[in-house]
Amino acid sequence: MTPEPFFALATLLFSMGIIGIISRRNLFVVYMSIELMLSSVNLILALFSRLHGDMHGSVIALLMIAVIAAEAALFLAIIVLLYRQRRTLDSDVFSKLSQRDTL
Amino acid sequence: MLDQLLLILPMAITVIGAFFLMLLSWNKRFTLKDYNLVAVFFLSLSFILELPQLWNTEVIYIFPEVFGKMYVIDNFSTLFDLMFTAGAILTLLINTDYFKSRNYFNGEYFALILFSVFGMMTLAHSNELVTAFIALEIASLSVYALAGYHKSNRLSSEAMLKYMILGSMTGAFFILGTALIYGAVGSTTLGDIAAFIKGSGDSETLLVITGGTFIMVTILFKIGAVPFHSWVVDVYHGAPFPVTMFMASTFKIALFAIALRLYLVDFAPINAIWSELLQVITVLTLIGGSWLAITQDNLKRMLAGSSIVHSGYMLIAISSIGLGSQEAAPAIMFYLMSYFLSSVGAFGILSFIASRSQKSLTFEDFKGFAQRRPYLAAMMAIFMLSLSGFPSTIGFLGKFYIFTSAIESGQILLAGLGILTAFISVYYYFKLIAMMYFYPTNESQKRFPMDLSGVLIGLMAVLVIWGGIGTGLIPFIPGVDGFIDIAKQAVLSLQ
Repeated sequence: MTPEPFFALATLLFSMGIIGIISRRNLFVVYMSIELMLSSVNLILALFSRLHGDMHGSVIALLMIAVIAAEAALFLAIIVLLYRQRRTLDSDVFSKLSQRDTL
Repeated sequence: MLDQLLLILPMAITVIGAFFLMLLSWNKRFTLKDYNLVAVFFLSLSFILELPQLWNTEVIYIFPEVFGKMYVIDNFSTLFDLMFTAGAILTLLINTDYFKSRNYFNGEYFALILFSVFGMMTLAHSNELVTAFIALEIASLSVYALAGYHKSNRLSSEAMLKYMILGSMTGAFFILGTALIYGAVGSTTLGDIAAFIKGSGDSETLLVITGGTFIMVTILFKIGAVPFHSWVVDVYHGAPFPVTMFMASTFKIALFAIALRLYLVDFAPINAIWSELLQVITVLTLIGGSWLAITQDNLKRMLAGSSIVHSGYMLIAISSIGLGSQEAAPAIMFYLMSYFLSSVGAFGILSFIASRSQKSLTFEDFKGFAQRRPYLAAMMAIFMLSLSGFPSTIGFLGKFYIFTSAIESGQILLAGLGILTAFISVYYYFKLIAMMYFYPTNESQKRFPMDLSGVLIGLMAVLVIWGGIGTGLIPFIPGVDGFIDIAKQAVLSLQ
């Protein structure tokens, strides 16, 4: 097994996640981009686990999935809450705290 | 077996208390006061059980046959535990009136506070990167939920959203760093990483350095260093007052627990690589934080900006550690204690006042405050003096040791910049004192009853002064030297 394609894939996924967070405006897509970043790290962990020939990395990846699930619960809750408040998920709407008027 | 159980009892009690409160909140018969009392009871129990461990100088790994070296108990983590539990107890007790005056608090709020304290304690005790990450997530997820606790308030929800998106993104960097270090070392235990770094050449440690840098991104984000500061002012502003107080005083300290453990011990041989990076970030943090603090009119936002500056001071000492200063690590510990005392007091007074009004507090609201509430104004003045580093307060000694360590490691320019920003900070801290004392009040003087919140804030004010000028002559009460000795002892237990 050559690991390079997998590393390339993980890098690609992580970069896609960052670009998604920066450039997309819909909160759902932003949330999915964060999940993409975390999942790409899981891929790296599983890969290193295979390269080392032990199970540490895979176990860490499993633990990570639990953490990601906890984060997802909170994220979906806040997205539902924000949608109820404003009837939109466009991130530009949520700028009440920004300092544009004071500076 | 039993003695090990006794050692982890403080943490166990916190998490048991959190679950107990969750079960209680299901029952509608209890009032907020009951929940508050239960939460404070569990936290105090944990605090009292933790106290004797402060004299325990050996390093103990908990249940080594099961957990390996994941979980460590030493003086360093004990001191941090004491600060976390004390911070949470003070947050809960000082804000009793605030909870009563707002209708959105309920039992789960107290459970979340206890969960996040548990996460922070685990973070201070963790001797392994994945444990640290999970502990950090337990603490952060609770704090995210707390920041958005005012469900019907748009500002609060927006603060939670901003904090969550940026926090989760930087959390991904922490775990990426862990993955890279695991790839290089084959283990995530801190001792193994240190042994690997010592035993291998430059080309092999490249992956560890990259991973360490990614972990540093997360830590810098959570303490609000400047390229990663965009959330601080907004989140502190949007969150309810007790949560802001908890975040600013307690959660910020927690990050330094893991940062010191990582960069003081385990990355010690390659620390010099990061010192230039850290110096640039420190300069940006000091200048950017000062700018943010000067431009604010809202007091919560001003204190948020100034908390960025305080992170900058501690970053000075962290880069001094990398350059081989012996005094730097105790200096950070002492500064953390001083910042903890002063910020708990300052935010405590703000939320104490905010519990009696619905609007956000600006400088204007403090005009003539000294006539209306002379004692509270005097205490506020003490906390402001301590935050700005005025002599005879604990804040002065904290800054003194930080700058000494910077000069010791040859970072004279950085120390100079730190002193300059300390001068600048006099502007925005003394502005509040001037507002309180030099303007007449237009409201009639009302008598306020003396209550527990006032007594606790007064106690913090006394401690702030005592930490600046206290002598060690009185038996059983540590003076200034005693505080410094505690800090030194805690850092010694790391090595």
